[in-house]
Amino acid sequence: MNRYLLSAAALLLLGTNAAFAHITLETQEAPVGSTYKAVLRVPHGCDGKATTAVRVQIPEGVIAVKPMPKPGWTLQTKKGKYEKSYQLYGQAVSDGVKEVDWSGGNLPDEFYDEFIFRATLTADLPVGQKLYFPVVQECGDAAERWIEIPAAGQDEDALETPAPGIKLTPKK
Amino acid sequence: MTAIASGIADTTTRLVGWIAGGLLVALFMVVVPASQAFAHAALIKTDPADGAVLAQAPARFSLTFSEPVSPLVLTLVKPDGTPVALTDFRLTDQTVEIDNRQTLKSGTHVLSWRVISADGHPVGGSILFSIGAPSEPPAVSEAVDWPLRSAIWIGKILLYAGLFLGIGGAFALAWLAADGRDGQRFVIAAILCGLAAAPLSLGFQGLDALGAPLSHLAQPVIWRTGLGTSFGWTVLIALIALGLGLLSLAGPRVLARPFALAGLAGVGAALAASGHASAAEPQWLTRPMVFLHGVGIAFWAGALVPLGLALKRRTAGAVAFLHRFSSAILPVVAVLAVAGIVLAVIQVQTPSALVGTAYGRLLLTKLALLVFLFTLAAVNRWRLTALAEAGATEVQRRLTRSISVEVLIVLAVFGVAAGWRFTPPPRALAIAAAQPVSVHIHALQAMADLSITPGHAGPVAASMIIMTGDFGPLDAKEVTLVLSKPDSGIEPMKRASTKPGDGSWRVDNLVIPVPGRWTVRIDILVSDFQIVKIEAPVDIRP
Repeated sequence: MNRYLLSAAALLLLGTNAAFAHITLETQEAPVGSTYKAVLRVPHGCDGKATTAVRVQIPEGVIAVKPMPKPGWTLQTKKGKYEKSYQLYGQAVSDGVKEVDWSGGNLPDEFYDEFIFRATLTADLPVGQKLYFPVVQECGDAAERWIEIPAAGQDEDALETPAPGIKLTPKK
Repeated sequence: MTAIASGIADTTTRLVGWIAGGLLVALFMVVVPASQAFAHAALIKTDPADGAVLAQAPARFSLTFSEPVSPLVLTLVKPDGTPVALTDFRLTDQTVEIDNRQTLKSGTHVLSWRVISADGHPVGGSILFSIGAPSEPPAVSEAVDWPLRSAIWIGKILLYAGLFLGIGGAFALAWLAADGRDGQRFVIAAILCGLAAAPLSLGFQGLDALGAPLSHLAQPVIWRTGLGTSFGWTVLIALIALGLGLLSLAGPRVLARPFALAGLAGVGAALAASGHASAAEPQWLTRPMVFLHGVGIAFWAGALVPLGLALKRRTAGAVAFLHRFSSAILPVVAVLAVAGIVLAVIQVQTPSALVGTAYGRLLLTKLALLVFLFTLAAVNRWRLTALAEAGATEVQRRLTRSISVEVLIVLAVFGVAAGWRFTPPPRALAIAAAQPVSVHIHALQAMADLSITPGHAGPVAASMIIMTGDFGPLDAKEVTLVLSKPDSGIEPMKRASTKPGDGSWRVDNLVIPVPGRWTVRIDILVSDFQIVKIEAPVDIRP
């Protein structure tokens, strides 16, 4: 019975933050029109298996992406055209990194690691809304996909595998 | 003083510091887990394994997770759908061990778990295991409207009497009896019986189809429904055949034979138009077999009463009648028997169904009556007929008695055959049980046609067709089927599907442990970074 009470208490205290048990971004909000340092926190593998690759999709409106290399991991980016052209230091930018892959590594389930990239959040991004960076976590032949984006009106906590996201604040 | 004051001030500062620190820690505990990257428990091993079939109930279940967890709810759902809370468990490292003190009956059980791990994220799931064998669906009985059943049954017997004894009798009188008119009144009475029973049966059929009681017989919708079923054709053809039979007796003598022949063909056609046997596949075989069977019965049974009466009264044409009948009966009975055997084999399928189903038992009863009937008929044909034809009066009397017994047996056979109206043959039972349940799930981004075959609890296979929200092709990377039944405490069971190559997605070796309303969710991985989840309820039959 005590165990149940404890569990229930734990659920009450922590349950509402359940969504953060997954791959998340360290800095949860950032102003638009600024440079953002994204730290992806990988707390566990896929159902007990070691993580071997982390792939991030860069959402539209996020440009000038520069990932940080990690020893033991092969870093690759996939480039493509943006939906529209953005201004970066007075220059028009219409293509760039759309996906960042760290692969070939080995992060056992019992260890924790972080994957970092820097990017510019363009001023065109909608202030007040959330911006999601879908992540695929690969563990050999298994995978966990942190790619769910809540539909309008849907509670983010109800998602099983939510994509990490940040809240966009007004330009400073 | 200063020292004291500063000491007090120090203590105060320290106290405030402590309180502030404590508050901060408390606040941290409440709020900050939000940004803490805790791990997340995953089930990595279970005993029994998911989908296992065990010889006997295990004394203990165990669930091993990727990290220590604390159970919130542990439920065992029995094959009949009753959930039992499991409260007797121990935690050893990352394993939850659950003692099972109950004796479990055979069938599929669900061990449903919901645990919380250090990250405070409750996770749940279900594993299935079976004792003995996966659950078979329990038998369900429907309420039976006995007055309506009796009415349908009697209507059927009267209709058979009209068709076989009436039209068959008219045929015998026209083709076999020469000028004899014995039994004509009986034959006319039988035809009138049939003429009355045919439309009434149609009404009963309508009542049965709509599940309405006998008192609703007068409602037009009942009759429209009855006419709309395949039995409507049987009744229409039967009425025409009965009319032809009557015409052959009452109409011009020249036309008596053609009318009687057309009537006899009508008997076969009426029976072939509806009923279990005619509905069986292959229809190119079953319908002609039913036709031949019906014509054969009418020829044989119809001749009995006129022949018996002619022999009893020793009318002039009696011996000629007997001669014609006995020379024709052998091939007729042969055809009748062959057609009957073919139909029985198609309908019953397996010998065990003869005893195991109501349909099979009725068939056995009918066969028993037939053995008796054939014995009598054989004695008549090979022992008595020649003597009677030679004019032995005593033998003719015995023959008459034997024929009247035959008539009674024939009536009993009609009664048994009419009983088949209520017993779906094993073939139909198998088809009904195998019917899939289908559900169409439509969302903005994607939709799916899901069918679960068979649509009842037990081992099933699921097949899904995935399309975009506007009916376009959707080349999904992965499709996962997720079944849950919250009202029975069954947490989601996830099954990855495979692509057999015909454009569908399949999940084989799926066991649905209990019937009722399940929630089915289909997770469609559209591309590497996009997933669409669609959900709908689906009703699983018992």
